[in-house]
Amino acid sequence: MIWSAVIALALLPLIVLRGKTLGTWYVTAAAIAVYAVILERRGLGIDRMIVVALAFAVLMAFVAIGEKVKFSANRAALIAGVVYFFVIGPMTKVPIDGDEPFYLLVTESIVHDFDLDLANQYRDIAHTASGRTDLKPQLGDPVGSHGQQYSRTEPLFSLLLVPGYLIAGLQGAVATIALFGVLLVRSTMRWLEDEGISDDVLRAVFPLFAFGPPVLFYAARLWPEVPAAFCFVEALRGMRAHRAQRWLLALFALVLLKLRFVLLGIGLLALRLRKRRAVIIAAIIVAPMILLTVVVGNPLNVHSWRELLPVAPSNYARGFFGLLLDGAGGIAFQAPFFLLGIYAITRWRETPKGFRYGILASLLYILYLLPRDEWTGGWSPPLRYIVFLMPVLALGAASVWHRVSRGVVMMIVVWTIGVALHGLARPWRLFHIANGENAIGEWLSTMYRADFSRMFPSFIRINDAAIIGSVALIAILLLARLRIPSHVAISAVALAIAYGFVVAQRPARTIQFEDAHVVHEGGALYPEEYAVIRFAYRGGWVLNANDSLSFLAQQGPDTLEYVSGPGARIAIDGSEVRLPSNGDHYATARINVPHAGRVTLRCLEGAVNLDRMVREDNVRMVHD
Amino acid sequence: MKRTLIIAGWLAAAAVSAYACHLAVHYPTPIDRALPFLAAVITLAGAPIAVPLLIAAEIAILDETTRLIAMGIIWSAATAVAAFNPRAAARGYRIAIASLLLLRWIPFENVHLVREIFLLLIAIAIVWLLRGTALAVLVAVVVCLITPALPLRTLALPLAVLFALALIRFFHMPRIALTVPSLFALACILTFFAWSGVVARAFPYFTRPPLGDVRRETVNAALAPSRSITIDVPPDATGLIVSGANVAHLRRGAALGMIEPGAIPIRIGDASDWGYMRRDFFYGGHNPLPRLSAGHLRDYGYVAWVDGAGLVPLPNAKTIRVTADASLPANAALQVEGFALR
Repeated sequence: MIWSAVIALALLPLIVLRGKTLGTWYVTAAAIAVYAVILERRGLGIDRMIVVALAFAVLMAFVAIGEKVKFSANRAALIAGVVYFFVIGPMTKVPIDGDEPFYLLVTESIVHDFDLDLANQYRDIAHTASGRTDLKPQLGDPVGSHGQQYSRTEPLFSLLLVPGYLIAGLQGAVATIALFGVLLVRSTMRWLEDEGISDDVLRAVFPLFAFGPPVLFYAARLWPEVPAAFCFVEALRGMRAHRAQRWLLALFALVLLKLRFVLLGIGLLALRLRKRRAVIIAAIIVAPMILLTVVVGNPLNVHSWRELLPVAPSNYARGFFGLLLDGAGGIAFQAPFFLLGIYAITRWRETPKGFRYGILASLLYILYLLPRDEWTGGWSPPLRYIVFLMPVLALGAASVWHRVSRGVVMMIVVWTIGVALHGLARPWRLFHIANGENAIGEWLSTMYRADFSRMFPSFIRINDAAIIGSVALIAILLLARLRIPSHVAISAVALAIAYGFVVAQRPARTIQFEDAHVVHEGGALYPEEYAVIRFAYRGGWVLNANDSLSFLAQQGPDTLEYVSGPGARIAIDGSEVRLPSNGDHYATARINVPHAGRVTLRCLEGAVNLDRMVREDNVRMVHD
Repeated sequence: MKRTLIIAGWLAAAAVSAYACHLAVHYPTPIDRALPFLAAVITLAGAPIAVPLLIAAEIAILDETTRLIAMGIIWSAATAVAAFNPRAAARGYRIAIASLLLLRWIPFENVHLVREIFLLLIAIAIVWLLRGTALAVLVAVVVCLITPALPLRTLALPLAVLFALALIRFFHMPRIALTVPSLFALACILTFFAWSGVVARAFPYFTRPPLGDVRRETVNAALAPSRSITIDVPPDATGLIVSGANVAHLRRGAALGMIEPGAIPIRIGDASDWGYMRRDFFYGGHNPLPRLSAGHLRDYGYVAWVDGAGLVPLPNAKTIRVTADASLPANAALQVEGFALR
């Protein structure tokens, strides 16, 4: 694998680089190789694939800023094809997860039985190509009148996987999505060209879009997000170019891929309302519903009309800022390049018409996504529900590229490389249990045994950082026109990181007992890791007699929030508290932490599910 | 006025970066404690992006060697970025000065201020004579780095180079950039800045596997000339670790002793004087870095050094006899440190 990657890295530059730039690249590549060998000989064990990936990042820098570069959408697609081919391996080295094995199961049913009934697939689950022998029908999966067991997933996506699956099983199915990734890259680059983005900006934006998260991760996994993004771009391109055949077909495929994309169809319909073709679009939107009514008996599949009713305004704010800032599932931490697309919205009139089209068409979809509990994407790699929007945000980012300070761009590049490498090296970490922590926070919390996760904004379990982050984001968007020098911006970020590090090592005011900084001696996570719709529960840690937890705490009175069926007697560094039985309702108890620093909370008898412990002045503030 | 504001902005950024690093310092080594200095220098060198990365390395990497090398990698990458930045004015000078401050000014208490400032001026002159290219930066950094400045007469080396370059410039030497190879060589030097003393005096140490870290069984015997010791060889021994005492003046190939059976000679080049690489003694000595250096990295920054222990192959025997050579000076000794284990 490593040698084929090296050969690919040697050949890829021939696609785009020419003359002196090509020669300089080869000298640089040789220097990187020698440098890596020196480091390896010194015992610095860097994975060789990581070295190749870093060398590829340098190659992309050559593409972005090189003098002799021959760039086009087709060349970009060719590069993307080679890279996605190599990403399939790392992405499938652990069993596929989330909805992926179910999509594959439907494909297997289509291939072997020519139907969508998965009952026999579940009975013979040992033979699924996903290797997931633990699969069972998901909660709410439709059941036919004769006991047929359908999947909640729409069938078109599984149908698309059939040719690849027939050729090479799971790998072939993933390769099919990679092919859609290639098409997405090509379409997006062509679209950016059509919208008047200059060649130098196109070259700079291309690697951040194609090889950054979330497109990189979804281009080699079995989710319909990348094909949907391709269809959305094609629909927008077709509309902008007044080519009805293109956008009608793309829109039709889009709504068949996933019913939720009907909301995008309605958005596009609204944009074309004055045209006769609105009727055709309406027909396209209704078609999948008719199809679903025939197959599963419900035009909304597993959803209901009730989900379309407005909910509490606070949920919209939570979803909005969460999608932007959440440490585990927000654009700022998971795909920072696309923040530039958000920034472009503030310069609305200067942005290309295609960008405005894309944003307006997706507004209704976003509006219905924001208040839902699963705005994070649920059990999937981050930003699942807005992957389709990434080409639009990339266009926005490209339109403001020259307005953004180089320092900000540099920080975005560094962070993007880090997130991409982390995702490729540890693909299982792309899935998160949505408990309010995130990968970096958990890692640092484990390392320092202090609550580092609270330094990252969480809108799953709203924390102080979320409030501060939201205010800061608004301030940044308002102040963005001031053109702060890059060195000032970078030093401010450095100060924020360092200050966060200092604060994170101090005891927190709220202790979430399931978090990584808590040392668990016995007991169990609640709800268990793979619980369905886990994000809907209040997380916690279940203690039985003699189990204990230790953590950093502040001295003084705290409020403990817990659930206990049989009741429990606990002690915190010797200070005993009796927790009365409260059935399945959360209750509070007053507890006094005898000293500041590391304390041990032990369950002496009974059993209790401990949710969290909050400083009393914090509780009073909330109540006031 | 605008220029003053720009300078003030850079100074403010450097100060904020230094303060941020001051907050982030978590480990006690001189390199970690010098983080604020590093932050200010790299910011003023035109690569402030390195500062958040240095802080991240300080926070996230527990292992000392890995952390310090990671900082070196970050510094190298930032230098390369700064060198390629066409907007940065006088970037060659800034990079050369920043590199020398990094390589020679840590730990600060060992800095001979006047001599170091003089060396910086020579470096600036070299960069100017070679027209600010990456090659110019490399030549300036290498020449100034390998100058111990102790004793004072060693400053003759950079002055000689300066004179030669002035002559070459006078005869209209063409501008040679060699950007990528020069930056690569500079990166190799900067990567190990945490032990810049060893980079200056024995760079090949870093291109070899770190034998100093291998598992050992200690013997700790110092043999005066003609004295010998008989020792049992542990079953998993891979070699004998030896060094010399008071032999720094001997040249490569001079005999230190012998291992029996097999009459395996131990010479300068297989092992060296234990403390030959210390900054204060290096200029007066003639020892090279042992072929298979088993020395430990000691101290940090420009006063870092590696002891002269070397790994010598063992004969296929359960017991060996090590004898110090009779020709060694009276006050010299062959030190048998121990066995390297598998």
